[in-house]
Amino acid sequence: MPTLTINGRSMSVDAANDTPLLWAIREQLQMTGTKFGCGAGLCGACTVHVNGEAVRSCQTMVGDVAGKKITTIEGLSAKGDHPLQKAWVAEQVPQCGYCQSGQIMQAASLLAKNANPTKEEVVAHMDGNLCRCMTYSRIQKAIMRAATEMRTASAAGNERRPT
Amino acid sequence: MNQHVKNVTSETSDLSRRSFLVGTAATGLVLGYAGVPGVGEALAAAPANFEPSVWYAISPDGLVTVTCGKADMGQHIASTMAQIVCEELGAKWSDMRVNLASNDPKFNDPVLGAQITGGSWSTMMNFDAMSRAGAAGRMALTEGAAAAMGVPAGELAVRDSMIVHAKSKKQMSFADVVKSGKATKTFTPDELKAIKLKTQDQYTMIGVSVPQLDIPSKTNGTAKYGIDVMIPGMAYGAVVTPPVRYGATVKSVDDSAAKKVPGFIKAVTLDDKTQTTTGWVVAVANTYANAKKAAAALKVSYDGGPNAKVSSESLLEEAKRLQKLDDSGQFFVKDGDPAAALGTAAKVLEAEYTTSINIHAPMEPMNATAEFKGDILHIYSGNQFATRSGAIAAGAAGIDPKFVVMHQMWLGGGFGRRLDADMMVPAVQAAKAVGKPVKVIYTRENDMTMDFSRPLTYQKVKAGVDGDGKLVALSHDVVSAWPTQRWGIPDFLTPSVDKKGPLDSFTVNGSDFFYTVPNHHVRAIKNEMAHNATPSGQLRSVAPGWTFWAVESMIDEIAAAAGKDPAQYRISLLDGAGKNDGGAQRLRNTLLAAMGLAGYGTKKLPKGEGMGVACVSSQERATASWTACVAHVAVAPSGEVTVKKLTVATDVGTQVHPDNIRAQVEGAALWGLSLALYEKATLKDGGIEQTNFDSYTPLRMSQVPEVAVAVIANGEKATGVGEPAVTVVAPAIGNAIFNASGARVRALPITAEAVKGAMKA
Repeated sequence: MPTLTINGRSMSVDAANDTPLLWAIREQLQMTGTKFGCGAGLCGACTVHVNGEAVRSCQTMVGDVAGKKITTIEGLSAKGDHPLQKAWVAEQVPQCGYCQSGQIMQAASLLAKNANPTKEEVVAHMDGNLCRCMTYSRIQKAIMRAATEMRTASAAGNERRPT
Repeated sequence: MNQHVKNVTSETSDLSRRSFLVGTAATGLVLGYAGVPGVGEALAAAPANFEPSVWYAISPDGLVTVTCGKADMGQHIASTMAQIVCEELGAKWSDMRVNLASNDPKFNDPVLGAQITGGSWSTMMNFDAMSRAGAAGRMALTEGAAAAMGVPAGELAVRDSMIVHAKSKKQMSFADVVKSGKATKTFTPDELKAIKLKTQDQYTMIGVSVPQLDIPSKTNGTAKYGIDVMIPGMAYGAVVTPPVRYGATVKSVDDSAAKKVPGFIKAVTLDDKTQTTTGWVVAVANTYANAKKAAAALKVSYDGGPNAKVSSESLLEEAKRLQKLDDSGQFFVKDGDPAAALGTAAKVLEAEYTTSINIHAPMEPMNATAEFKGDILHIYSGNQFATRSGAIAAGAAGIDPKFVVMHQMWLGGGFGRRLDADMMVPAVQAAKAVGKPVKVIYTRENDMTMDFSRPLTYQKVKAGVDGDGKLVALSHDVVSAWPTQRWGIPDFLTPSVDKKGPLDSFTVNGSDFFYTVPNHHVRAIKNEMAHNATPSGQLRSVAPGWTFWAVESMIDEIAAAAGKDPAQYRISLLDGAGKNDGGAQRLRNTLLAAMGLAGYGTKKLPKGEGMGVACVSSQERATASWTACVAHVAVAPSGEVTVKKLTVATDVGTQVHPDNIRAQVEGAALWGLSLALYEKATLKDGGIEQTNFDSYTPLRMSQVPEVAVAVIANGEKATGVGEPAVTVVAPAIGNAIFNASGARVRALPITAEAVKGAMKA
């Protein structure tokens, strides 16, 4: 039985190595925030982080991620208060909401590396994530809002740091 | 076909003839209409047995839970219903909660008499009933508080879940009153009708963009959709669908290879007496991954059936043949005599407009979970038409629909797709066959190839103008599959003007526009071949999504032929004469608002750029949200079209939630853009050729233009916003392309090749 490290916890899953990570997360671990959309890496609804990188969990096999650090929407923040999640509420982004776990996870991998993205960088990074309700402009606004909040927070943190 | 639906739709649910009950049960205060099955019994039952699943309930801690009988697919209708109740009840928004209703008839739509969500109807049709329910609750609570405080009810004020007596400075919270058990009251139908609702100037909630109640759960993974349902001991089903969309039969199933897949339980060939599906097999296994493996290992042979050779080309050819016949179809509009008027017109224009097959493709693939428990079949699935879908599930199980309980979930997109019930059939028959609960999940490939699609449409329009350029005749034929007739529910059909039997007005709505045209005919022609080969559904905006493509393109063609500005030409046609009085003026004003916001006619655009307008009365004449669009495009010499900006104005009468209206209008406009330029499905050998998001390609973030939205709230009745803006965008873009390049396009989606070809012509 492969053992997966998900959201900081080590869990063994009763699944063959060639099982897509998506289904192991959803069915074996019953964490259903990660969604199935296309099964072909074309829509981004199943996006999770593996060692901090955004990957499509429908295209990632369980056997390939054993021992790696996996993060799902449930583990992005302790209380659902990651700056992106707060920004998603502030901008009232979701309509049906089905793609939004994937959108948030995809956006989080951008902001982790680039705290001050341009609009073009956001679009390039997010273009693989479909939203059938077409909430794209609010997604962009929310990413910019979260980026601002993260920069402000880190600047405040820097000021307090003794030099 | 199904008794359940007939029972429900034939039963009048006119709430004006019903009492409203407010009573105390063990779980708190419950409020609902009497005479609706269940409510009276619920209140009469011993409190311990009581389930507070009426319209809304207030618990002893003061939380108000509104049960929403509408499917919430992202339009935040549950939150909107709570907001309407909250306004009249006088509750604090943070005390409001929502609950999704089961298919119990007590949650039926007060106007439609069934549980169905579509047509941009919900807010319009529930506003009054929800307002009165809220007001009745406030009155009962106030009287209860007056009795408890020993003060006259007339001296009490209600605000933010508090009932305050200013003189004595006494106050009680809703929670206090509920706990006191004193709030019990029955309103007769006349008393309910006599309740004086708030006037617009008294609103404190309607018109405020309160935080949507469902949004936090949609940012942290906790919102539960149908696909997320987990039942102890359940198995999973993956469906194997035939290469032909409809009409195939299974000849044989060889499961020898599937048997080697670990966890495989059984291959179930569907016996679908509801005729919703044809030739489907379900592979059932212990996990979905294994079910998919087993499905791939099954060797199924088919008889392709009568539609196995049908293609998009043959559907179009058949549509053209039918249109040419004088006795085809039925009349939806029959004003004056267009044939005679065309004979004497100074100029006659004639054009054909087409739209392709389109696929709903909501992000959550179709799914359903079925569980037989005792006598009851439980279905867990996000669905837009619980009344009919429950009956289909019953039909698949071979039981009476009254034994089916539909558990509503959040919908991962609906767009009309979840009005259908095909997903119930494999779940029910697999659960029955293996003796366990089964969750069936479509692959994206199943979802796309078995969609109840927007039908391929063909429209022929003839127009005549007199010597002054005035439009004197319009003859409009609409040929398509008939999506709503497919339901087999007579109430949803419309009598034809020429008394040739009912027609499916959901194929021609919009063509009965608000322009004044003295001689105007519209024929609805059913393309039987398309109806059989590509069972069609209601795709966001339905008929106005194609009828206005034809009408609003043709009006532009006429204006150009008459040498007039297309926007001014529309304004002259919206003169409000006769039956168009009222609507025409509102549409004219909306068009002017869009023109103003876009700067139409005020700036010189660079070469290769242009603006086009369109205005619509979608969805139906009786339920219109007046909507106009100005599209600004750039057309390259290659024919490549770039949409630079869409400006949309919409008159919605009354805004319940301004921010939500903007979100819906923007989403709808981008759907319109997506259908205009990016989405096309084709039929070959009876099957849909596009299987996933690589070949069927809805709009992505990089393709989103600037969108400006102007919402007009003039105090008229609240109208719907989920769909109308879909319908106005394609013609505005087509007209802008003409303005920019002189190329007239008449087929959706618009391709660079078509634009380039039209430029040369």
